[in-house]
Amino acid sequence: MHDLLDDYAHSSALRETSPRLKLLLGLGAMLLCVASPALIAPLLIAVTMSLVTVMLAKISGRFYSKLLLIPFSFSILSAAVVAFMHGGGDQLFAVNVFGIDLGMREDGANLALLLIARTFGGMCSLFFIALTTPMIEIFSVLKSLGLPDFLVELSMLMYRYIFVFLDQAAMIHSAQVMRLGDAGAKNSLNSFALLCSVLFLSSWEQGERLIVAMDSRCYDGKLDLMDQAAGAKPGAILAVAVYLAAATAIAVLTRDVLLL
Amino acid sequence: MTTILETRSLCYSYGDGTKALNDVCISLQEGKKVALVGPNGAGKSTLMLMFNGILRPSQGEVLFRGRPMSYDSASLRSIRRAVGMVFQNSDDQLFAPTVFQDVAFGPTNLGYAAEKVKRYVGFALQYVGLFGYERRPPHHLSGGEKKRVAIAGILAMEPEVIILDEPTSNLDPASSEEIMEMLDELNYGGKTLIISTHDVDLAYRWADEVILMKGGGVVRRGTGQEVFGDAELIKDARLKLPLVVDLYQELAGRGIARGSEPPKNILELCDLLQPEAKTGTWGKIYICNVDLADGKQILAMLEEIPACFRGAMGTSAKALAEKYGISIDFTYGVIDKCILKALLGKNSIIMTSGGMVDHTMQRIKDYGQESGTKIEAICLVQSTENLK
Repeated sequence: MHDLLDDYAHSSALRETSPRLKLLLGLGAMLLCVASPALIAPLLIAVTMSLVTVMLAKISGRFYSKLLLIPFSFSILSAAVVAFMHGGGDQLFAVNVFGIDLGMREDGANLALLLIARTFGGMCSLFFIALTTPMIEIFSVLKSLGLPDFLVELSMLMYRYIFVFLDQAAMIHSAQVMRLGDAGAKNSLNSFALLCSVLFLSSWEQGERLIVAMDSRCYDGKLDLMDQAAGAKPGAILAVAVYLAAATAIAVLTRDVLLL
Repeated sequence: MTTILETRSLCYSYGDGTKALNDVCISLQEGKKVALVGPNGAGKSTLMLMFNGILRPSQGEVLFRGRPMSYDSASLRSIRRAVGMVFQNSDDQLFAPTVFQDVAFGPTNLGYAAEKVKRYVGFALQYVGLFGYERRPPHHLSGGEKKRVAIAGILAMEPEVIILDEPTSNLDPASSEEIMEMLDELNYGGKTLIISTHDVDLAYRWADEVILMKGGGVVRRGTGQEVFGDAELIKDARLKLPLVVDLYQELAGRGIARGSEPPKNILELCDLLQPEAKTGTWGKIYICNVDLADGKQILAMLEEIPACFRGAMGTSAKALAEKYGISIDFTYGVIDKCILKALLGKNSIIMTSGGMVDHTMQRIKDYGQESGTKIEAICLVQSTENLK
């Protein structure tokens, strides 16, 4: 019904791997991308993370490439702006638009390329986490990291009901479309406002039903957490450590490399 | 027989003054299957919410095992543990992000240690046939599976009474039959069950006692035959006659069927229409206890036995049949179906779990005594008692 990253995470081949290790890998790679002064390391991370996601986690390549279109579109747009706006270095080329000279200089181009590389590296790492680690696993990691219970429990309840309300919103939306609620901008806006208000009221009611449901099962302030998935295998820990160390080393060694 | 739940002149009005219940006096016996029927707004759900103390009566009282319910938090905890409630909409009930967490909710809040919680959850999921679903999120489950998880969440608290609000609404026929069969199994294990339903056929054939409600009051109580035998009453309550009763009345009007009261199910209807089934040509019913044999033994048995029809009763038998690719003819109402086939001279085999073997034997024996037929029931794998 819905195409949710979380659903892919549930069926990924790395589902049973330790969530801590997956988070460490994803977050570590992401930080490296942001910290790296040159574009070699982020590019490498983008490629390796994509390979891990597609080959090891068995996420369909077609779906993954569609997903990459999202960072692609916004990074190209912002890179273009950066490339033309940043001065310094030799002028590479210039175009004349309506009498205004738009020039691209070396520094600007380099910065734009770095921006694209970092965006891709970071997004590929983020997608790796999102496509291999379901939210519920992240909750248990958060809890073990010492996040207060009430925050974890609240987020778990919110997570659960996202799906209930998503279904409800989809149903209300179809009910509106069926009666031409989307004909014209004015109608669409009106329908959307209605949908929001109805959804708000129904979430309120759902909250009341939730209290009844919890009370009738002797709610005493405790919400159990899923027991942790099996701990990480030594081999996997070693692989992640080697990978992160290698990526760091590459980032340090290639810090002065510029493409242009 | 002990009374487990009782209400005395129970009244309830909502905030705006609408009377939802008006002077309801009923008593429910332990170990019975009770169905509340009635039109929308008859007060069925309100009454159910009174049974585990979610709603507090405006007047009158609810008694559990002879003791009036009190509404302080300690008493409420013990009553809610003893009287479990399964809501109509499973999404209202399943609020945890995984199946395990949801089933574990009750035991955790009862203060059990982690190890015990895990054991109880495992047991409950095994019982409803969803072992191995622990890590699934509820939005990945089908309607029938959600209902099973909801029931497992209640079972994990070991209730004495289970209340189910419209357990079969929104389920496909096979799922709802499976749920009802599971309820039968629970009832056979000693649980008292109370359901509310609009499905008159279901209430008629399933319940030991039917309570007909209308306008916040109880109109009639009795067996299915007593309540649904009164066509006028049923029409007034905006219900309809169960198909078997309707058919029986039409046939009786034509002088085709004779009997003092309507038949309870298709088996009884068939007996009524054809009282003198030929002797000596009955088929046999084999009963196979799936707890005491492994898949290979059962497959070998199925090869040997000249049985034309196969029935599976209970979640473990069905799971086994699926695992070994055994095709099943009957998955619900199995005993009756097999008796019907035996009357036609066909053999059949019933696969079931240990607890239900004696029940099945008894049911076939009882039928034989009532109708004067001699259908042979053969237990293939020795029952647990014999092994001891």
